[in-house]
Amino acid sequence: MTALLRLVGTGGVIAYRALFNWTTPAMFVGTLLVGPLFQLLFFAYLGRQLGVADDGFYITGNAVLAASLACVFGGTMAVSNERRFGTLGHVLLSPRSRTAVFLGRVLPYAANGLLIAVTTMTAAALLLGLRVPLDALPGLLLTLAVAALACGFFGLTLGAIGLRFRDVWLVSNVSVALLLLLTGVNVPAAGLPAWMRITGELLPITHAAEAARRLVAGDGFQAAAPQLAAELAIATAYAVLAALLLKVFEAESRRRASLDTL
Amino acid sequence: MRTLRMIAVGALLHTKQLSRSPFEIATALIVPVVQATLAVYLFRAGGEPGRLLEAAVGAGLMGVWSSVLFGSGGAVQNQRWQGTLEMIMLAPRPPALVVLPITLATALTGTYAMVATLAWGRLLYGIPLTFADPLAFAIAVPGCIIGLGMFGLLLASTFVLLRNANALTNTLEYPIWLVSGMLVPITALPGWTGPIAAVLPTTWGARAVREAATGSGPVWPSLGICLAISLACLALGAIMMTHVERRARAAATLALA
Repeated sequence: MTALLRLVGTGGVIAYRALFNWTTPAMFVGTLLVGPLFQLLFFAYLGRQLGVADDGFYITGNAVLAASLACVFGGTMAVSNERRFGTLGHVLLSPRSRTAVFLGRVLPYAANGLLIAVTTMTAAALLLGLRVPLDALPGLLLTLAVAALACGFFGLTLGAIGLRFRDVWLVSNVSVALLLLLTGVNVPAAGLPAWMRITGELLPITHAAEAARRLVAGDGFQAAAPQLAAELAIATAYAVLAALLLKVFEAESRRRASLDTL
Repeated sequence: MRTLRMIAVGALLHTKQLSRSPFEIATALIVPVVQATLAVYLFRAGGEPGRLLEAAVGAGLMGVWSSVLFGSGGAVQNQRWQGTLEMIMLAPRPPALVVLPITLATALTGTYAMVATLAWGRLLYGIPLTFADPLAFAIAVPGCIIGLGMFGLLLASTFVLLRNANALTNTLEYPIWLVSGMLVPITALPGWTGPIAAVLPTTWGARAVREAATGSGPVWPSLGICLAISLACLALGAIMMTHVERRARAAATLALA
C-alpha cells in the first residue's frame, strides 16, 4: 500500500515537473492567474450590465471554473505529452500499474487548479467586494478541491482519447469552451435548453459551482452537501472512465503498433 | 504598387498556410460558435432579445481579436519553429513588410468568426440580420479587420522582445474584449478604463461595426479613428521590427527562442 501511494504521489510530482519544465513564473502568472481573473471580470461586468445575476453569482461560478483551464489541459498533457515527447513507450513498459501512474498524475494538476481557483476568488472578492461567511471557508475550499479533481480526471479522460486520436488539443480547447457555456457558471441553468442543462449535469464544475454558491450565500454545508456529493461522483466517474480508456487504448495501440504514431 | 502586391500575395500565402492546419480550422469553426451561443443565451437571460444581433456581432468581433492576438503573438515564433524565420529576415525588404502579411492573414482568417456567428445566429436562433446601414457594415467589417491586422504587427514586434510572449497572449484576450466594449458597454466599466479604451484600435473598430449594425451612431468617424490608430501602430511596429531585427542579427540570436 505504501509503495502504491508512493508511486501515485512521487510519480505524479515528478511527471508534473517534467511536463511543466517549459514554464516560467511569468507564464504561470499570466496564463493561469491573471487570465482567469480577467475572464471572471468580463462575465461579472457583462452579467451586471444585462442584469442576469449579481456579482456573487459570477465571482463564485467563475472562481470554480478557473480551476478548469489548468486541470483539463494538465490532465490531457499528462498522457498526450508523453506521446509527443516520445516517452510514452517507456511509461507503458513499466512493470507497475499504469492506472495508478496516470491517476496519480492528476493530483498535482488538481492542487494547481485549487491554488488558481482560490487566488481568483480572493482577488475577485477584493476587487468587486464579495463577502464570504467565515464559517463557509472550509466547505468552500473542499468544494474547489473536488471541482479541481473532477476537472483533472475529465482532462485525463480527454488525454486517454489522445492515445487513439491525433488532435486531442482540439478536443481540449473545445471542451474548455463548452464548460463556459454548459456548466451554468455564466448563464443561469434555467436560461439554458433542457439538453444543455442535462449535458452540463454530466460535466465537472456544474455541481461544484452550485455548492459554492450555496456556501457563499450562507446556507451552510448541509445545503451544499448534495451538490458536493454529485461533483465527487462526477469526479469518480471520470476517473473510472479515464482508467478504462487508458487500458483499452493501451492494449489497442500495442496490438496495432501505433503507440508513437502522431 | 509593388509593395501592395507583395503584401497582398504574402497575406494570401499565409492565409492558405493557416487554412491547411486541421487544428486551426476546427478551433476557428467551433469556438466562435460556442462564444456566440453563450452571448445569445446571456442576452436572452438578461431580457434583451432585441439586442441579439448586437450579441452576435460582438461575439464575431471577439473571434477576430482572438485570431489576431494568437496569430500575431505567435507570428515570429511560428516562423522560427518552421525554420523559415531566417529566410524571411533575409528578404530584401524591410522586416515589417514581410511580417505584416502574416498578421493580416490572421485577421483575414478571423473574418470567419464574424461570418460564422452571424450565420449561426440567423439559422439557429432566427436573429434577423437587418443591419441599420448594410453598406457601412460591409465596409466597417473589413476596415476593422485590416486595422486589427496592422495592430497585430505592433503586437508581433513587441512579442519578439519578450521571451515568454505566450504568457502575454494568453492574458490579453479577455481584457481587450472587456475594455474595447465588444459585448460590455464601456460605460459599464470603471472610469479609469476609459483612456485605455480610447487608444485601442479594437475599441473604435468594434464601435464602428456596432454602429453600422444597430444605427447607434455615425460609423465613419469611429472607423476613421480605428484606421488612424492602426496606422500609428503599423509605423511604431515597423520601427520596432527593424530595431529587433538588427539587434538579433548583431547578437546572432535570430533562430534562438
